[in-house]
Amino acid sequence: MSTSCGNPETETGALMLRRPKFDKSKQCVRCKEKTGNIVIRHAVYCKECFSTLISVKFRRALDPTVNPLPDGPRRKGLKAGGDLLIGFSGGLGSTVLLDLMYRTYFSFHDAPIDLTTGKPRGGKDHPRNLLVWSRGSVCYVEPCNAFPGMKDRTEHIRAIVEQYEDLTFIPLRIEDAFSRDWWDSVGGKHISDNLGIDLTNEDLLLSSISNEGNEGYSKSPVQQLQKYIFSLPTQTAILSTVQTLTRILLLHTASAIGSSHLLLGTSLTSLSISLISSISQGGGFVVREEGKEEWVPPRSVTQMKTNGHENGNIRVVRPLQDIGMKECAMWAWWHGLNVVGREKFPGGKQSIGQLTKDFIVGLERDYPSTVSTIARTCSKLAPKHGTDGICLFCQRPAQYGLQDWRAQTAIRSFKSITSYRPPHFPERDTTDVPTSPSPPSLTPFLCYHCHTTLTSRSSRGTTAVSVSKDDPTPMPLWVTSSSAASTVSSTVRVATQDPYSGEEIWNRKKMDVEQMKATVAEFLFE
Amino acid sequence: MTTISVKVEFSGGLELLFSNQRAHTVELPAINAVTSKEPNLQYLIEFLRDNLLKERVELFVENGTVRPGILVLVNDTDWELEGEGE
Repeated sequence: MSTSCGNPETETGALMLRRPKFDKSKQCVRCKEKTGNIVIRHAVYCKECFSTLISVKFRRALDPTVNPLPDGPRRKGLKAGGDLLIGFSGGLGSTVLLDLMYRTYFSFHDAPIDLTTGKPRGGKDHPRNLLVWSRGSVCYVEPCNAFPGMKDRTEHIRAIVEQYEDLTFIPLRIEDAFSRDWWDSVGGKHISDNLGIDLTNEDLLLSSISNEGNEGYSKSPVQQLQKYIFSLPTQTAILSTVQTLTRILLLHTASAIGSSHLLLGTSLTSLSISLISSISQGGGFVVREEGKEEWVPPRSVTQMKTNGHENGNIRVVRPLQDIGMKECAMWAWWHGLNVVGREKFPGGKQSIGQLTKDFIVGLERDYPSTVSTIARTCSKLAPKHGTDGICLFCQRPAQYGLQDWRAQTAIRSFKSITSYRPPHFPERDTTDVPTSPSPPSLTPFLCYHCHTTLTSRSSRGTTAVSVSKDDPTPMPLWVTSSSAASTVSSTVRVATQDPYSGEEIWNRKKMDVEQMKATVAEFLFE
Repeated sequence: MTTISVKVEFSGGLELLFSNQRAHTVELPAINAVTSKEPNLQYLIEFLRDNLLKERVELFVENGTVRPGILVLVNDTDWELEGEGE
């Protein structure tokens, strides 16, 4: 090999050698006997060792989250407090997750038999012989009605899931987020007023759309969903919203069937993509929740079944988060899994999510260790300040002091500035201008990510088909039903007298919970 | 002219670009007429692009090689262990 910087066309040794994709030799680094079949982050594995490695990684990610309480000094058997729900999208990760879950926790286990008694060793109630989860369900959310022309793949998915015995298939549709039948079925409390928001206003003013004169009253869930989707300002917002709606539908379903765990098939690659994508859209405060979270059912939902966890909490676990997309693909190929695939959403090529995916997937081919570095670094991040409550829309923590921060932001939409006047303008005499009551706003109850999703504007123009302040956009039912929303819609009428006509003017203002309590305090029993 | 028979299988949605057919058998020339060398994987990729691919070339080939995210196996072994395109 030439060590000089010569001309590759004349000197055969001058051309730089390609950087090897694997360290050392082609022998498996684990068993050191067989020739390797796959390279994972520069390490070579044979087929058998690869399968063992994936199974070990899978269990290592999932087992510590199974028991309701962490194990004490003495290691106990695994036994979940409630049932299991697997979120299935038809994609590669979901398919591998379903297969691994079934092989590890649901397929028939041959309990070792005691030769003297002829019965299972340790007795039939020995923890080794019990299933970790008594019941398992697989839930699929069909998104086709959000995008006209998209194919309905529910039956394809059903055929895949039915190959796994003992798992119940629960099909949902994304428009269920606007369906009262679905809301009732998951224990949602009665909603008297269906609320809509004005997307033309940054304050996202709320108004009721449940009256016969309003067009929104008679719309079906599909129509409400499509109006909502077509009102969103950017392609990024559409894709982000579909993901959020899907996640919340899964969570409510898990709660309704008494599940203690919701498993999602997010691989290491998908996790890195969603972390970067979420941070790019203002979701940095909940970067930890992208990896794992514990969801508390809101008070607007009656808990239908217990799941062994305090407050009915549901653990959202992503057991494949240490397993890359390449490893998932090899597992699917070597075990003959049929991957239905996920439908690509139309028009999403220039969205932040898709651009991030193209970047990360390209990065994984050339620098495979970088992708795991993204996930590892993000798992070390923690928000600087505390939370100000739960976002009504995404049901994740909202950052503290968001309203104050937003009020100090210099770059704003001029339309949204209602009280500010440039200093060179004279003060306007407002004493003879009748004040109008201020409608309630949803903005204080949203996290930064969700508010940006609903109000951001693209430099390329908006994707919103028709948005009008007179035709409010419907909201998912969990937003409408939450106790905070009912606080928002609660009003107090204060009578004042118009100084000119002497007539009474009713002015509405928002009351918080403490004020309402003070009003009725004398009527409350101790 | 002698040929090499190669069985090519597609999976994970890639078959949709190749007439929705999972398995294909292609006959490659034993000696590449242009380079006078035996065909390699790079040649096979170009052959598939020019002769079997029915739509959306950009979903299969990018910058002269398979698009990122597409895994290539040669006799059940990762092509990174076999020298990739060469």
